[in-house]
Amino acid sequence: MPRVDRSAHVSWEGNLARGEGRISAPSGVLSDAPYSAATRIASRPETTSPEELLAAAHAGCFAMSLAGELTRAGTPPERLDVSANVTLDEVPGRGHLVVRSAISARARVPGADELSFAQAVEAADEGCTFSALVRASAEVQVDATLEGGD
Amino acid sequence: MATERKASVTWQGDLMSGHGTIESVTSGVLGPLEVDWANRAEDAQGKTSPEELIAAAHASCFAMALSHGLAQEGHAPERLETSATITFVPGTGITKSVLTVTGTVPGLDEDAFRQAAEQAKENCPVSQALKGNVELSLDARLS
Repeated sequence: MPRVDRSAHVSWEGNLARGEGRISAPSGVLSDAPYSAATRIASRPETTSPEELLAAAHAGCFAMSLAGELTRAGTPPERLDVSANVTLDEVPGRGHLVVRSAISARARVPGADELSFAQAVEAADEGCTFSALVRASAEVQVDATLEGGD
Repeated sequence: MATERKASVTWQGDLMSGHGTIESVTSGVLGPLEVDWANRAEDAQGKTSPEELIAAAHASCFAMALSHGLAQEGHAPERLETSATITFVPGTGITKSVLTVTGTVPGLDEDAFRQAAEQAKENCPVSQALKGNVELSLDARLS
């Protein structure tokens, strides 16, 4: 399989407490997006944070992984709605750490039953590269619901 | 104090020919954004991917941690240019993150800057989440 490199660039000015950074990604979806310590801890509209970008990465990764597993089981999804909620917390003696990513998924999957869906969810969690990374140092919670299963 | 950030994604269809949308994130800076397998596993053609977002998270986390470390030593940076490049091997996973930084830091020599950068690489929360599974490397220099 080919290896894929993806990069992103940040400019930061000043110290942590009063400084500010700007994040850009080559695809153009982030272009000089501002962030700072204040908006990392207390979120404000229009300012992203490393943890928010991780949440977007995890939700995107899990949705693709679940689509792959359901297809492999012979029941490709019609629609998946996936959210990730990433928690940054101060851990005594270790500073700020990502302590949890909670995935919540709702799925419309013609032909899937509860059992096959649960198996696909478990496989998707195991197969999603980002779940594996987070699980090494933090908790990953997965809450998945099959809508109107038939 | 714990901080929570949320992102929501919709996916339609199978993995290979289906497509997804990052609908929204807490701050509103992203979304809706298209994502699909071809753009993730092959050449990026104007669409983002989980790995690009992890790269953005890592570069931004590293810049903050380094600004903090430098300021604690009395050398707050004038400017830091950081980047992260994440390597994704389909079928294996995320294998590597390469951090780079070029700093403008009045009154600091290269060695002290490299040491501070090394500390930030080890300790920023995103590094902590990746460490153990992912090879982390660093190229730090003063401008």
